[in-house]
Formats: sequence, C-alpha cells, structure tokens
Amino acid sequence: MLQPILFAFLGGALVSVSRAINGRLSLATSAMTASFWNHLVGFLFLSAVALLWGGLMPGGWPDAPVTAWFGGTLGVLFVASGSWLVARIGATLTAMLVIAGQMVSGVALDLALGQSDNLLPKAAGVALILAGMMLARRGR
Amino acid sequence: MTNRLAYPLAFASGGLLTLMVLFNGQWAREGTPLFASWMAHGTGTAAALVFLLLLRLGRRPSETRRPAPLWAYLGGLSGAVTVMLTSTTVNSFLALSGTLALGLAGQAGFSLLSDRFGWFGLPARRIGGTDLAALALILAGSLLVIFT
Repeated sequence: MLQPILFAFLGGALVSVSRAINGRLSLATSAMTASFWNHLVGFLFLSAVALLWGGLMPGGWPDAPVTAWFGGTLGVLFVASGSWLVARIGATLTAMLVIAGQMVSGVALDLALGQSDNLLPKAAGVALILAGMMLARRGR
Repeated sequence: MTNRLAYPLAFASGGLLTLMVLFNGQWAREGTPLFASWMAHGTGTAAALVFLLLLRLGRRPSETRRPAPLWAYLGGLSGAVTVMLTSTTVNSFLALSGTLALGLAGQAGFSLLSDRFGWFGLPARRIGGTDLAALALILAGSLLVIFT
C-alpha cells in the first residue's frame, strides 16, 4: 500500500533532481551537451540493468510504428530546454510551466485522437491551469 | 528578455513531453517499459550527437568555462530510475492517474525546496505567495485533467 505511493512521489521528485543536475552541467557546458550526457549515462545505466536483471526484450524485438523512433529525439530537445530553463527561471517555475504545457497538450491530443469523453471537467482543469500561468506571469 | 522567451519555451516543452510519452509508449505497448526507456536513451544519444555537431558547425571556438563537478554528469541516472519506479507504480492500485498525480506532487515539492535552498549549485530563489498560488491553481487544474 505504502510502497507504490512512495515510489510514485519519488519518481516525480527525481524528475526535478535530474533537471537541476543537468541545469548545473549546462552552466559549465551547454544545454545540448547536458542533454547528451544525460542520455548517454542513462543508456549505459539501463544497459547494465538489462544485463544484470534481464527483461529487455522477453518477446523479441517489439514491433512499433515509425514514430516510436523519434521519441528519443523529442526527449533530447526536452532535456536540453529543461536544462536551459532551470538555470534561468528556477526549478519551481520551470516545473509549473512544463506541467501546464503537458496537461493542456494532453487534453488537446485526446481531442484530436477522438479519445475524449467527459469534456467539461477537463475544460475546467485547463481553465484553472491557464489562470495559474497568468498569475505566475503577473508575479514577476 | 530571458523571461519573455522562457515562458513560451517551457509551456511548449510540456507539449513536446506529451508527444514524447506517446511515441516512447509505442515501444512499451509490445515491449517492456525498460525496453522503451532503453531505446529512447539510445536513439536520444545519437540524436544529441547530431544536434551538437550541427550547433558546433557555425560557432567560433567557445571561451573556456570552469569545469562542472563530476556529479553534474549523472543526471541521466535519475531519469532512468524514474522510469523504473513509475513502470512499477502504473501497474499497482495507483494506475496511471495516481502515478501522475503523486509525481506532480513530488516534482512541485522538490522544486520548491531546491529553489529555496539553492541545491545543485543553482541560485537560491525566494518563493513568494503569488508563486505558491499559481502553483496551487496549476496543480488543481492538473488533478481535474488527470482524474476525469
């Protein structure tokens, strides 16, 4: 009962940890250099985990649409922009705005894919998020 | 000047994240979350190399900056562990929505502490009432989106 709650919370905290660490590296190098090291270190670590514990491809190489190959590239741009942002506007504001963008675009994507029922509360959620963003902007 | 650029960039990068999760999830649908993350990091490393080469082509040799501490190269560990943690919690009673909601709480809580005390060698920042109110609105709106 308690373990998943702790893990999920920790998972979120670690998102902020890696953004801050990459931000620090970007100050000494560049945002894209930080993103490169982030991915290389992550790749080596996950390779080691897969070698030790297995579970990488239990059913053979999975079949996926061609778009799956571009997830990593988007991740590189995401980490680079996060490193640049956290060193300039701080961790809290960066997290706030990224979450806002993720939620609003998620609702838009569901709409575009026609996977959206229960639209009214989601629209209310988007309105709250946009209000929060305007407030954050006023505070500066 | 930085702020004028930073706000839309941060918001847009959230949209990038949505697409990234969608695309990486296509590997996980038939493979494992570990495979999806491994592929994303592998193809990402290659993509970052290409971006770095393109960026460097048009640039003069840069000034020498003070080197980063060794730990600053280890941000990727944190991201990889996140994937391992959340791939277990989405299969627990928390499901995806609970995982997302608690993850937001973890991000917000840790960011506030990190800013307040200037952790990881980044400048410390004062968090005002307006910031907290804005954060509360965004989190409340996110919970509505996640759980409905």
